[in-house]
Amino acid sequence: MKITLTVNGEQYPLDVEPRRVLADVLREDCRLTGTHLGCEHGVCGACTVLVDGRAVRSCLMLAVQCDGGSVRTVEGLAGPDGEPHPLQRAFSAEHALQCGFCTPGFLMVAAGALERDPGIGDDPERVAALVGSNICRCTGYEPIRRAIMRAAREWPGRPT
Amino acid sequence: MEHWSRREDERLLTGAGRYVADMHVPGCLDAAFVRSDVAHGILREVDCSVACEVPGVVGAWSAAELADLPECPRSAATLQDLPPVPHTLLARLSTEEAVAGREWPVLAKDRVRYPGEALAVVVGEDRYRAEDGAAEVVVRIDPLPAVVSPSAAAADSVRLFDGLSNIAFLGEAGEPIEESVWREAAVVVEARYRQQLLMPTPMECRAILCVPEHDRLTGWSGHQMPHRLRRELAALLGWPAERIRVVVPDTGGAFGSKSAAFPEFVAVAFLAVRLNRPVRWVEDRLESMLVASRGRGQDQRVRLAADADGRLLAYELTIDADVGAYPHLGVGLPMQTAWMATGPYATPRVHAGVRSVLTNTMVTYPYRGAGRPEAAIALERSMDVLARWLGIDPAELRRRNFISPDDFPYQTPTGRRYDSGNYAAALDLALQTLDYDGWRAEQDRRRTDPDALPVGIGLSCYVERSGGEPGGLHEFVSVEAGEDGTFTARCGASPSGQSHETVFPALVAETFGVDAARVRLVEGDTDAQPDGLGSFASRSAQVDGAALQHAATLLIEQARERAAVLWGVPAQEVAWSHGTVHPVRDGSAAMDLAELVKATGPMRVDDRFEAGMAFPFGAHAAVIEVDPELGTVRVLRVVAVDDCGRVLNPMVVHGQAFGSVVQGIGQALYEGIPFDQDGVPLLANGLLDYLLPTFTEIPPIEIKGTCTPSPSTPLGAKGAGESGCIGTPAAIVNAVADALRVADPDLLQMPLTPDVVWRAARAPKLEEIQ
Repeated sequence: MKITLTVNGEQYPLDVEPRRVLADVLREDCRLTGTHLGCEHGVCGACTVLVDGRAVRSCLMLAVQCDGGSVRTVEGLAGPDGEPHPLQRAFSAEHALQCGFCTPGFLMVAAGALERDPGIGDDPERVAALVGSNICRCTGYEPIRRAIMRAAREWPGRPT
Repeated sequence: MEHWSRREDERLLTGAGRYVADMHVPGCLDAAFVRSDVAHGILREVDCSVACEVPGVVGAWSAAELADLPECPRSAATLQDLPPVPHTLLARLSTEEAVAGREWPVLAKDRVRYPGEALAVVVGEDRYRAEDGAAEVVVRIDPLPAVVSPSAAAADSVRLFDGLSNIAFLGEAGEPIEESVWREAAVVVEARYRQQLLMPTPMECRAILCVPEHDRLTGWSGHQMPHRLRRELAALLGWPAERIRVVVPDTGGAFGSKSAAFPEFVAVAFLAVRLNRPVRWVEDRLESMLVASRGRGQDQRVRLAADADGRLLAYELTIDADVGAYPHLGVGLPMQTAWMATGPYATPRVHAGVRSVLTNTMVTYPYRGAGRPEAAIALERSMDVLARWLGIDPAELRRRNFISPDDFPYQTPTGRRYDSGNYAAALDLALQTLDYDGWRAEQDRRRTDPDALPVGIGLSCYVERSGGEPGGLHEFVSVEAGEDGTFTARCGASPSGQSHETVFPALVAETFGVDAARVRLVEGDTDAQPDGLGSFASRSAQVDGAALQHAATLLIEQARERAAVLWGVPAQEVAWSHGTVHPVRDGSAAMDLAELVKATGPMRVDDRFEAGMAFPFGAHAAVIEVDPELGTVRVLRVVAVDDCGRVLNPMVVHGQAFGSVVQGIGQALYEGIPFDQDGVPLLANGLLDYLLPTFTEIPPIEIKGTCTPSPSTPLGAKGAGESGCIGTPAAIVNAVADALRVADPDLLQMPLTPDVVWRAARAPKLEEIQ
């Protein structure tokens, strides 16, 4: 089936089997391997990407469902000049990653939420819900929580 | 580097990291395995004929059919048959005696011994095709009764290997204790503990990609021991090791579980050579939950004797260990528990006995802590029981029995020689950080308040072992100075999240007195670093770190000697300072090492460095609140004080300790594998059934440290990173026992699910039976 995905602002005309999940198409067809598969049954959230601005588990969505849609992956987080995203800076500063495998999923969950409403940094419960939506086995999560709070504080345009 | 606190971070945060599944190799085939859905049975039929016809399937083979696979004309292989899975030679994890007569076939031949055991392998143009083929393989198995606990299996009423006992290994540490000791002691605690099977669950499952090129094979794998994997693959293929290259790209966690050559690895390497094409296997999570190695798995009995003042007289630990269906990877692993049975106490008599029993489960293998959690949990739970029986504060009971700081090195009755320690200092810091007295007061207050939920305070003092076992306490490293002013450090370690690229160059740079940016690290490639042991037993900082520091000092010596020859002065008149050499006396300008290399040729030190075992320790404390009506446990606070000697990077060690505590909480409260009556794990909903801690379960955790350097290396580092798995579980369970004041410790078996806690809350209290 012929589809077109816009991934990180770039158009990908693709011919994919209807059964292929979005994660596989991003990784194999678009060669964007920053999106990782941690469980392939929608629990761990490592494969989270933004589809039309909303966070989705890309292991649970078929690529054909996204035809004509806009997908954002971890490769599209940094600014056009390569300037790191506030979340990328904050994750490093808070040591919110060790092995790095789950990291793209946490980044995209947080990016989707912060870009909709940078004010979530003022609401610890909403941040907790974000962190609680994915699995990390290395960090114990607390550094990830702190990183999201820090990114919210350092969000462009936020009063400091 | 300005944005990044670790060198690893930029690529891992931008999607530029490269894990095995990310590798793009043209023409690469995917392997999928057909697996047994029964735990134990006679394999009657595996028919791959239909699978072979599925579009996109390159081939599908059972064990019998692989033997007939025609040799690829372009292949240099001379393999006639799929070799069996190798056994672990390291650290007595397995033994020749245990594996004798018990072959672990890569694909089951006539018998299935654990659920998920591979029956056939299907190779396709991509994973979708491979799985299409796997779905068409016809399998017929006549089920046999299954045994999934060591106690049940030890009776040998169901045998995994005909004519052989399920008991595959017997061992002991220490001298047996005379009955009179127990008879004459003022108090003897007896208890049984179950150390449940756990799944290490790194976020990246296992993966291997094998690429044949000319007469060599390159294996890419997220792996802790690339040199071991190279050696094992070479032996399996009957090749000299030089024809195998193992490369470890980014690895998504390991926690001990990624250091062997697993059945799937053997099949992939074999098929890549036979087909002369790149073949990869990327395990999926549901597959991993069935067939990745397990951790823990012990049924324990303890006896702990003390006098009326609480001075320990004797401790006996008897272990029936569940080592899974094949003894190949971890039949000797429970000896780690036996050797560490003494713990931090000066108990005069300690004896530990081990029976390793085969069961119809996937194989048990090291998981973060690897035998030491089982030792610490058994002893520390027993200490709290003893304290309650004697009416002595559990902190005070421990203080009365600690090995004194003056008694190191300390030879334990169970055969360990502890290098250094100050156990009381760690406990004192933990109590102070927790506000122990404050929580005891709160506990008393709540006991008089009928509306308040009971709180409990639990302590756990541990000592563990890091570095490895004799014969595996060394590492191979090199340090090289370049003409461009940079340094290259190489070592045999292989990280899976431990920040080696940041920590080791910083250590080498500090030794040289140069900026860390001038040092780069090369590891995880057997072509770049021909010898190595790897990353396991919390050894990398302790052993590789000390080795790199040593090699750097040797390179400084070499530089001084070369400069001395160049300048015609004695070597002792050449000084080293911040990456330069200069004459001590005449005050002429210093020469940068880069200039010296240009003038005198390449400068490199290769070193085989031998460290000693180290014994990190610590004290963990937990405060919990129990709802006796719901059986729920709410962790209010955890304090972890760990001592890993010299800390190379506080941020990294803190991160390791914190994450490890969370895994320890997982064992105490959440993680467990339920089995149905036929021995099949009840995990159909994957990670919704196996409850890993999520952020919702994370209590306030405070990490602190004391510093008692290891005397076994000049660096003084001990292992860090396994502490939480070792120290935290008993603190949590002890806190629940403290809240409920349960008389029978056997009622609180991990994980402490609401069901377990609810029942325990209704059992007789200590004061009711005394």
